[in-house]
Amino acid sequence: MFSGEELAVVTGASRGIGRAIAIDLARRGVTTVLTYVANEEEMGKTLQQIEELGGRAHAYQVDVSVEKEVQQFFRNIKKHHGNVNILVNNSGITKDGFLPLMSSTKWDDVLNVNLRGTYLCTREAVKQMMVQKKGAIVNIASTSGISGTSGQTNYAASKGGMIAFTKSIAQEAASYQIRANAVAPGFIETDMTKSMDQQTLKQMINLIPLQRLGKPKEVAKMVSFLSSNDASYITGKVFTVDGGLING
Amino acid sequence: MDMLTYEETKEQALKRKELTERLKELIVERLDLDIEPELITDDQPIFGRGLGLDSIDALELFVAIEDEFNVTVFDDNIEVFSSINKLADYIVENQEE
Repeated sequence: MFSGEELAVVTGASRGIGRAIAIDLARRGVTTVLTYVANEEEMGKTLQQIEELGGRAHAYQVDVSVEKEVQQFFRNIKKHHGNVNILVNNSGITKDGFLPLMSSTKWDDVLNVNLRGTYLCTREAVKQMMVQKKGAIVNIASTSGISGTSGQTNYAASKGGMIAFTKSIAQEAASYQIRANAVAPGFIETDMTKSMDQQTLKQMINLIPLQRLGKPKEVAKMVSFLSSNDASYITGKVFTVDGGLING
Repeated sequence: MDMLTYEETKEQALKRKELTERLKELIVERLDLDIEPELITDDQPIFGRGLGLDSIDALELFVAIEDEFNVTVFDDNIEVFSSINKLADYIVENQEE
């Protein structure tokens, strides 16, 4: 799947889906550069798990919504590890609420991390990929960004934005042999779903044809595939990993 | 402003010459132009009427400059490409160690 020479950046890799992606790429021989915002302890656990598998990983504390931090992060990568070949934009937050009651702070926070973070990291990574004339970008969107979810106007808008962003950069960078795809997970066993109202979650599971939540590693396998040369003719597409939840 | 010694002035001039020559080589190499780098003058416009380059060439050049000099150029300060001299000034002012 990989040659062992690849260098991947995975943002928001201290927990959940990001951690599973980092582990899956690392166990396939990819050197991983991971970001986290605050949870150093959880990031340490991700690094430890990768080390135990004999993988290579480095962690940096980066707020992906802050331009200067992102620019410095990518300069550091180039200086210490070389040019980036794979970028997984996974950092994401939710601040749910009904729209009439949603403060602009809640709106901005979610859009800044999820969408602006994707723009900033992709902008910096794509420059390094253009020099090499190859690269793969995988953006972690959500089924919310395709079909919408009540109480998540901010999150759904950010994820829908990520999907449109993915399709655009896929066209723009194709002549440099850079591919970009999005993965849209449905309900996955993470802290994000644990924090949901359990009654609502039960009702949601009833709507999933496979009748269960997904596991982070089931998303990670799709991300590894799209990052690899096995997906060499796939770009500008969205792949749902949702147990059959949505149509499209 | 401190007066520079003759040696310091000479050193600065040499550095500047090296930078402008490298920029000309970079433009020719990265954009695969069929001209000798020394034929590009220091004050000749790089885009438009100058070397006849387009926006895709500009993109390639932005990326090449960041790759080599660690200096970011955005499309809202594209005027730095009005000549080799302007570009050299911008790189000297913005280069991070």
